[in-house]
Amino acid sequence: MTGPSNRPVSRRGLLTGGALAAGGALAGAAAVTAARSTNPEVRPADTVPVAQVGTAVEPFHGARQAGVTTEPQAHAAFVTFTLKPGTDRAALGRMLRLLSDDAARLTQGRPALADTEPELGLLPARLTVTFGFGPGLYRAAGLDDRRPPSVADLPSFRIDRLQPHWSGGDLLLQICADDPLTVAHAQRVLVKDSRPFATVAWVQQGFRRAAGAEPGRTQRNLFGQLDGTANPKPGGPMETAVWIHDGPDWLRDGTTLVVRRISMNLETWDLLGRTDRELSVGRRLDTGAPLTGTAEHDEPDFDALGPDGLTVIPDFSHLARAHVTDDRLKLLRRSYNYDGAPAADGTADSGLIFASFQADITKQFLPIQRRLAERDLLNEWTTPIGSAVFAVPPGCPEGGWVGQQLLG
Amino acid sequence: MPSTRTRRLARPASLISAVVLAGSISGCGSSDDSSAAGSPPSPTVSAPTGTSAGVLGIRDPWVKAADNGMTAAFGTFVNDGDADVTIASAATEVSPMELHEMAMQDGKMVMQAKPGGIVIKANSSHVLEPGGDHLMLMDLKQPVRAGDEVTFTLTFGDGRTQTFTAVAKPFTGAQESYAPGHGTPETPASPSPAS
Amino acid sequence: MPTHARPSFAGLLAATLTTVTLLLVPAVPAAAHNTLKSATPPKNAQLTSLPKEITLEFMQELNPAYTTITLSDAAQQKVSTSEPAVTGTKGTITIDQVLTNGTYTVAYRVVSADGHPVQGSYQFTVADPTASPDAAASATTAPTAAPSTTPSSSTAASSAVAARDTDDGPGAPLLIGGAILAAMIIAAGTVVVARRRSTRES
Repeated sequence: MTGPSNRPVSRRGLLTGGALAAGGALAGAAAVTAARSTNPEVRPADTVPVAQVGTAVEPFHGARQAGVTTEPQAHAAFVTFTLKPGTDRAALGRMLRLLSDDAARLTQGRPALADTEPELGLLPARLTVTFGFGPGLYRAAGLDDRRPPSVADLPSFRIDRLQPHWSGGDLLLQICADDPLTVAHAQRVLVKDSRPFATVAWVQQGFRRAAGAEPGRTQRNLFGQLDGTANPKPGGPMETAVWIHDGPDWLRDGTTLVVRRISMNLETWDLLGRTDRELSVGRRLDTGAPLTGTAEHDEPDFDALGPDGLTVIPDFSHLARAHVTDDRLKLLRRSYNYDGAPAADGTADSGLIFASFQADITKQFLPIQRRLAERDLLNEWTTPIGSAVFAVPPGCPEGGWVGQQLLG
Repeated sequence: MPSTRTRRLARPASLISAVVLAGSISGCGSSDDSSAAGSPPSPTVSAPTGTSAGVLGIRDPWVKAADNGMTAAFGTFVNDGDADVTIASAATEVSPMELHEMAMQDGKMVMQAKPGGIVIKANSSHVLEPGGDHLMLMDLKQPVRAGDEVTFTLTFGDGRTQTFTAVAKPFTGAQESYAPGHGTPETPASPSPAS
Repeated sequence: MPTHARPSFAGLLAATLTTVTLLLVPAVPAAAHNTLKSATPPKNAQLTSLPKEITLEFMQELNPAYTTITLSDAAQQKVSTSEPAVTGTKGTITIDQVLTNGTYTVAYRVVSADGHPVQGSYQFTVADPTASPDAAASATTAPTAAPSTTPSSSTAASSAVAARDTDDGPGAPLLIGGAILAAMIIAAGTVVVARRRSTRES
């Protein structure tokens, strides 16, 4: 990964566009400074200057794919494809070479090859494109024996109301950036690249807080709950929970991804008082602290009793059902909110694009999901309407393409 | 692994320069490896072909994928020398070729053979792109499928030659006057993936 | 004629209120949270014999997955019981240990048909003259501690009960009912004004 100092800067480029762009950057910086001086609440150390949001870059090449442990960007499109008949191992190689090449360019702030809107490729805004392989891709390539065993259709759960048009998919591109126009352009370019090989299966677009709005904070879902508090901590715990550390080179440094579209019934949730909401979740809505604690990351005490003898944290709460302490069992949740247009009567079409990365779906995701399906009171207001699983293969070096270890 | 730390561009200007030169640093499309025969693409070296050894620097070369008939190849040709360079002809195994330009004729843009070849001025670059000059493949002998790499040989006015490899892209843009006699726009479904 | 209109306004309002009440009465139970209907032993019971089990009956059917019933003593120590056995609207726990004389708190946490969690508690007292736990108790626990701590603990417990009972606030159905009531009163007022006008004109 080259650092900023290594990046080749063309003298010609500086002369043609540099002065103008530098002027713009200065104006942006001035605006930020002005805003900061009038708002003492803003913590300068945490604030991303507005002018830098668009130009910030995440690496594309490397042993592992970006967009997994990458600090979540504000916008995402989960784009899945169904491979056309005839898209075999060789064709997959050609497809992934094209996709990898354009993803590499766009993530680094360069237009795609033969980009019909090259100006839209200039602001990467931390763009990442993460490739996921569904079970069907391994079958199409004649390589089902190389499929990670846990990457298989999930068992159906009592709470599921899965709709085919939000489920499955042979290939996933998780496109994330801090700018929605950047996401849209990347999606357009990559869909065009894929056309000879595949059809679009489903696309889910989601959002979190704007870049820099709440740096380093756990995001909130549309129920107002903090979402992702229990994620493994960066460093050792994240390494353990997320990445595959051994096995053949098409698995090592990869991970797996579960994407589930969770419809959230804001109408019935509205009927619930704040106390009931907190009992359902097991956490305070404001701080995200467990009902037995005071801060978000306090360890919950499931044995603590109230004066009447009831556990302070209900055993049917989402927290009680989802909680695991062993890093080897944790999920890295990297979810996005979705918010469709309300119906004529105002009924919301809102929910969560639940996305969790874990080394092994069977060992990590399934036990938690089974416990939630069995008893989580939050199920009263949430309904899974889509489900898909993917292997996230390792990354690729410069000049390589994602999936090369598997298909090359 | 990709560090989770954000790397920020040194200057917005570097972005602009990236567009101006469209430098192919990490692309897979400029390798010598030709896999048009359909074997899985092998790892490709990212250095643009012939930039150091060749007459011209060739950046971001690509060819429009097509199952049959006509298609065209494009790219940015950079002449770092102090003398003009003329591309006199181009050749590839998959099709007979001509050098074409788009020109105004009776108030209409039409494609025609470029008389005298394509000249790249000294110390400058020339972009071959849809709607402008291009290397025309007149009659494909075999499909050029998306993701294929096609090798081309340029012959210059002074008799020197240079080969380069272009990756095939599915592309539907700017084709209205592109293939006279093949007026119907390519459907998104074509070309087929593995024909 | 204003004098004539006034009583008719009051009458109309009364009629409206009656209608609203009639409308609300069937509406409330449909949307209401589950509530405790009866309990054995009952609230504030003074028992002279040791209960073997506790049965709570609710207004709505219970979901076994979401039903918790606990029993704790005056020192807020959990009494060993079975898991609740749920049949229909009833949940029963069996007491696994011999109770000493004193005040006990039954607490429940159930879920309404609409998913709302409902919890509450009540107390009963065991004063079994034939029981001779005092001797046994004095052997294991400080004999003077029990009488002195019991009242204060039970006070704390009952205030907690009171707090729990009001935990849910007015509740959505009540708020919705209030809004409907307000809307209907406004509507009634409008009708009255219209009638007064027409009365005056006639």
